[in-house]
Amino acid sequence: MAIRSDLLTDLTTNLSSTSVSVSTQVPYTSGDIPLYVKNMKKMYVDEEQQDITELYNCLDNNDVLQTETIVNAFVCVDAKTQPTDIDTVVSTCLNAKNSIANAIIRESSVENEYQDDKIIYTFEYRFITV
Amino acid sequence: MAIINVSAGNEARITLGDSAANANIAGSDGLSIPSMQDITINNSTGVFRFKTLDNTAESAVTTPATNQITLNVVVDEAAFFGTGAGSIDNVVDNGLFGVSKNKTRVFFNAGFQGNDSGSKFLSGSGFISGLAPTVNMDSPVWVTPVTIEVDGDYTESAVS
Repeated sequence: MAIRSDLLTDLTTNLSSTSVSVSTQVPYTSGDIPLYVKNMKKMYVDEEQQDITELYNCLDNNDVLQTETIVNAFVCVDAKTQPTDIDTVVSTCLNAKNSIANAIIRESSVENEYQDDKIIYTFEYRFITV
Repeated sequence: MAIINVSAGNEARITLGDSAANANIAGSDGLSIPSMQDITINNSTGVFRFKTLDNTAESAVTTPATNQITLNVVVDEAAFFGTGAGSIDNVVDNGLFGVSKNKTRVFFNAGFQGNDSGSKFLSGSGFISGLAPTVNMDSPVWVTPVTIEVDGDYTESAVS
């Protein structure tokens, strides 16, 4: 789980001067409410999802494999009075992909959805390593 | 009838050496090329065709064959650049790139079904050609085609 750990390290460092903090917990649900909804302005990074596929199939079975890793992260803020630095928070979170070394593909995206008077930002990080 | 299934791994294989003895497919002195993606053994004869007035169709005879082995490999550092020195075989020391650059004759054993006793293989000698290592960010591992331009004929044998 090195990628999640590296993301947590990067996010913790670079969000330290913003209104959003970072939790090392995974975003489990407590009392039917996800932690990131219960604890607003705190970012939660989920466990890694991995998919290992063959890049090159070799006759001696010494195959070359590639690993696609997806990590989701969540943060929830008040939709009525968003933090003034939310743009910085979002861009910092998207740029956290650059902290992952030795990946040939490093991508990130963000989606948001409303839940009552809250806005939930869901970040998706995608990495391919060989 | 017995088809030759290579899915177990290390069945289709090729060993190179600077002598026929070192290229022994069952030995350990030569360079057994690792991480081959595919191998093609060509034995392509030429054809001479001629017409005669008493025949309604052309006649044909075959002419000497062009023998060539082509393969694609994932580049292995030791196999491609050699181990430098210390082995008893020039091909192992200099690697595929070295023997291609130096135009060194290489001997080969090309196995069809591994190197256990009774396994069929073709042997001969020739020269390494056609190296063209390539890499890109979509496939970030070096791969290269390799051609062995066979000098003369193949010899069919079985591992003893």
